[in-house]
Amino acid sequence: MSSSFSGDETAPFFGFLGAAAALVFSCMGAAYGTAKSGVGVASMGVMRPELVMKSIVPVVMAGVLGIYGLIIAVIISTGINPKAKSYYLFDGYAHLSSGLACGLAGLSAGMAIGIVGDAGVRANAQQPKLFVGMILILIFAEALALYGLISKFKFDHLENGCCTAFLWWLLCTDCRIRKGFLADNKGCDAFHLSTAVLCRYNSLELLYLFHLFAVGLCVLIPPISSFYATILRYIF
Amino acid sequence: MAGSTSSWSRALVQISPYTFAAIGIAIAIGVSVLGAAWGIYITGSSLIGAAIKAPRITSKNLISVIFCEAVAIYGVIVAIILQTKLESVPSSVMYAPEALRAGYAIFASGIIVGFANLVCGICVGIIGSSCALSDAQNSSLFVKILVIEIFGSALGLFGVIVGIIMSGQITWPSNAA
Repeated sequence: MSSSFSGDETAPFFGFLGAAAALVFSCMGAAYGTAKSGVGVASMGVMRPELVMKSIVPVVMAGVLGIYGLIIAVIISTGINPKAKSYYLFDGYAHLSSGLACGLAGLSAGMAIGIVGDAGVRANAQQPKLFVGMILILIFAEALALYGLISKFKFDHLENGCCTAFLWWLLCTDCRIRKGFLADNKGCDAFHLSTAVLCRYNSLELLYLFHLFAVGLCVLIPPISSFYATILRYIF
Repeated sequence: MAGSTSSWSRALVQISPYTFAAIGIAIAIGVSVLGAAWGIYITGSSLIGAAIKAPRITSKNLISVIFCEAVAIYGVIVAIILQTKLESVPSSVMYAPEALRAGYAIFASGIIVGFANLVCGICVGIIGSSCALSDAQNSSLFVKILVIEIFGSALGLFGVIVGIIMSGQITWPSNAA
């Protein structure tokens, strides 16, 4: 081999391995989360069968991790097309690193969701007030996988920064509103909130519903807009 | 020194793409079947043990064993698809970039399908065993835990989808080149 050997023909090896890493590790995390929390749900369901359907939330959140890995793997593997755009070693290594980032983030999130889901559903069967706390912890664990997914997309839009800042403020005020609920011995889960708003138009419950809606919007807007930007860039 | 002299590439370019392709196909089917077997023995042993005191659960809970078996069938299907993508090229173009890329794609596709089915099989097996044990105590729980098992079996499908998408772009250089 002369000194002009550039090695670019082996770049697809690293690219395809990146796609493989993204899917395989995310599936490992999803499988761990599903199995561990599923065992907890089955054990808990023997004593409290009516709570089983409500406790499937950790399983659904673990399943979403597999979808993250699927998205990244498909985006990477369809991006390896030397006929359309020349594929250098740089691109191969970049795809390997983004696949590993997403995959290992999904693996870690899946492990967290599994262990928290298992403990959470068993505890929820004995103490129903713990349901919202379990959901909060699961959301933080799911965010770990989202860090890996979003590192593939770029945070270079104004609305993403605004949403993130607003979300932090909302989460800080969340604790204060929640303390107000607990002080009055009212429930702050979705069932109690919706019945209170529909029957009594109490202002605190209405405010909290808007608060939850804003949290949902702020969580969903950045990934969706980054996703659309990336998809549009690939199509055009 | 003027061009990039990555030692990984120098080693990789000496390996025939057919090596990678053959190993990929073997992993696709071998590791998938390993995952299915792992799931079946986890589910089956719990099912038989729980059925000692509750024999009514055996016929219904065989569906957990069938979910694990489906994982092995996914591996067989993808291995057959990958094997039909193998083409014989003359040795003059065997180390051309397109041929190398085809070999790497089959390898990665096989790894994806194999290991995704491995973890899916283990997951479905563990949940199937919990399903049998809880069904033995309370028969209303069977359908509810089955919903969790369906979430688990979707993971094998993700692997098959990505493996087939990746295998769609496998093209070997034509003989004229």
